[in-house]
Amino acid sequence: MCGFTGFIVFYGASKTRKSKNVDDYLRTGKTSSWWVVALSIMATQASAITFLSTPGQAYVDGMRFVQFYLGLPIAMIILSITAVPIYSKLNVYTAYEYLEKRFDLKNRILGSVLFLTQRGLAAGFTIYAPALILSVILGWELNITIILIGAMVIVYTTIGGTNAVNKTHILQMIIITVGMFASFFMIYILLPKDISVIDAAYIAGKMGKLNAIDFSFNLNDRYTFWSGIIGGTFLMLSYFGTDQSQVARYLAAKNITQSRMALIVNGLVKIPMQFIILFIGAMVFVFFQFVTPPLFFNPVETEKVKSGSYANDYTQLENEFESLQNKKREKLREMLDESSRSSLSSSESEIKDEHSWEVISNEKSLTNTTDKISHPINRVRNDDDSYSNISSVQSSLSSIRNLELDEIKIKEQKIKSEAKKIIKKNNPNADTNDTNYIFITYIVNYLPVGLIGLLLAAILAASMSSTSAELNSLASTSLIDIYKRLINKNASDQHYLKFSKYATVCWGIYAIGFALLASELGSLIEAVNILGSLVYGTILGIFLAAFYTKNINGNSVFISAIIAEAVVLYCFLFTSIPFLWYNVIGCLVVIILSFLLQQLLTIKFKITN
Amino acid sequence: MDDKSKDIIDDKPPFLNSWNKIYLFVFGELVILILLFYLFTKAFS
Repeated sequence: MCGFTGFIVFYGASKTRKSKNVDDYLRTGKTSSWWVVALSIMATQASAITFLSTPGQAYVDGMRFVQFYLGLPIAMIILSITAVPIYSKLNVYTAYEYLEKRFDLKNRILGSVLFLTQRGLAAGFTIYAPALILSVILGWELNITIILIGAMVIVYTTIGGTNAVNKTHILQMIIITVGMFASFFMIYILLPKDISVIDAAYIAGKMGKLNAIDFSFNLNDRYTFWSGIIGGTFLMLSYFGTDQSQVARYLAAKNITQSRMALIVNGLVKIPMQFIILFIGAMVFVFFQFVTPPLFFNPVETEKVKSGSYANDYTQLENEFESLQNKKREKLREMLDESSRSSLSSSESEIKDEHSWEVISNEKSLTNTTDKISHPINRVRNDDDSYSNISSVQSSLSSIRNLELDEIKIKEQKIKSEAKKIIKKNNPNADTNDTNYIFITYIVNYLPVGLIGLLLAAILAASMSSTSAELNSLASTSLIDIYKRLINKNASDQHYLKFSKYATVCWGIYAIGFALLASELGSLIEAVNILGSLVYGTILGIFLAAFYTKNINGNSVFISAIIAEAVVLYCFLFTSIPFLWYNVIGCLVVIILSFLLQQLLTIKFKITN
Repeated sequence: MDDKSKDIIDDKPPFLNSWNKIYLFVFGELVILILLFYLFTKAFS
C-alpha cells in the first residue's frame, strides 16, 4: 500500500513537472487522448467514500442505488451534443468563462462562486471521510491520516497540474478495478464450499438485496427508476456539464471527438461498473449470513461501549444476535435444500412430461395394444396427483420458511436498534450509521494480508483521484474566473502559472483545514454531502438557459438564479423532498422564471419606448 | 461560423461513422440494462 501510494506521488510529480505555461498546466496543452480522459472522468467521480460506502449501501438497502446512475448515459449524450462543441469552439479554460460570453460578468462570477463554495467544502469532505474510516479501522491517528492524504495529493497536483491528475488517474483506476475484482473473487472463495454463486444470489434475492429496479413513483423514496432517470439526468448534466472538476477533464482532450468519446465511454461503462460494485456488496451480505458479523460495524464505538458502563447490556445483545444468526443459518440451509429439491422435482417433472409425450405417441402408433399403454398412462396420472401434492406441500413449507426468515429479520433489526441506542447512551456524539464500515470490516478481517494492502491502496487511490481533480479545478477557476478576470488582467503567463500553483496549495490547505475541523462540526458533514444538490440545479438552469435560449439575457437569468437558490434552500430546510429532486426544481425554476422575466422586461421596454 | 469551427462540429467518431449512431448505441445499452435489471430483480425476488 505504501509502495503504491508513494509511487503515485513520485510518478505524478516526475512525469509531469515540465508544464511551461498556463495552458500546459490547466489543460495539458490539449494533448490528452479519449481513453486517458475517460479514465480520468471515472476516477474523478469514484471517490474513496463511493468505493467504501457503495458495497455497504447494497448490504443495508439492496442494489436499488444503481438507479441513481440511470440518468448518466442520457446526460452524456446531451452534453456531447451541446456543451462539448460550445466549450471547444470558444476554447475556454473553465465552464464559467462561457457564461460571460453568453450572458455577462455577474453570471460568470455567480457560477464560479457557487462552484468554489461547494467544491471547496466537498474537497475537505473527500479527504475527511476516507481518513476517518481508515483511522478507525487501522488505528491510525485521524489528524495525521488527513494531513498525510492531503499533503500527498497537494505535492503531485501542484507540481504536475492537470497532466499529473490525468496520468495518475490511469494508475488509480487500474488499482481500483483490480481491487474490486479481487474482493469479488475472494467472496467466492470465502463462501461455504457448498454455496455456489447462484445459491448466494438466491439468498441475497430472498433477503431483498437484489432489488435493482423499482418502477413505483414515490416522491419520498430516494432511489426509484423515476428519481434516477429524471433527477439523475439533471444531477449528472450539472455535474459533468458545469462542475469544473469534470469539465476540466474533457477540456484537456486533443479535440472535440476525443472529448465526446471520453464522455460516451463513461456513459457506457458507469452503470455496469456500479452494478458490479453493488453486487459485491450484496455478496458481502451473503457472506455475513454464514459468518456472524459484528453487531455494530464501527470497532471504535463497539470498543467504547464494551469498556463502559453498558458493557453487560451490549454483551447480552451480542449473545442474542449470535443465537439469532445460528437460527437464520439453519433456515437458510433449509431454504437452499428446498430450492435444490424443487429444481430437482422440476427436472423430474420435465422427464415425466417427456415420458408422457412418448407414451401418447406410442398410443397413437400402437392403437391395437391399448392394454399395454394404459398402464403407464395411469401411472403417470397417479404420479401427477402426488407431484401436485408434493408441490403444494413444498409451497406451504416455503411460505412458512419465508415468514420465519422475516421474523428473524425483524428481531435482528430490533437487536441492532437496541445496540445503537446503547452506543448513543454510552457516547452521545457517536455516529450510529455504520454503513461505511461494512466493506472495510470485510476487507480487513477476512482477506489475506497482501490483498488487504492492495485494497487499502485502492481506497487511497480513489480518495487521491477525486481530491486531486478537485484541487486542480478549484485552482483553475480561481485563476481564470476570479484572479485573471477581476484582479490582475495583464500579467505574464509565468505569473499566472505561479498563481495556479499557489492556488492549488492554498485550496489543498483549505481542504485539509476543513477536514481537520470536520470532526468538530458533526452534523455539518451530512450537510456538505448534499451541498452539491443544493447548488447544482441552479447552475444547470443557468447553463441550460445559455445553451438553448437566444432571447433570454443576463439580468433575467441572474435574478431567476437567486430566486431558484432560495426555493431549493426552502425545499431543503422545510420539506422532506429527497435531494435528487432539488436538481430538477432548481433548474426548472431558473429556466421558467428567466423566460417569464424576459417576457416582462420586453413588454416593459416596448411600453417605455 | 468559420471553417475551423465547422470542422470541430462535424468531426466524425472513430467507429459507427456518425455521432447519431453512437448516441443511439448508448441509449440502446441503457434500455437493455434497464430491461436486464428488471428481469434480474424479478428472477431473484
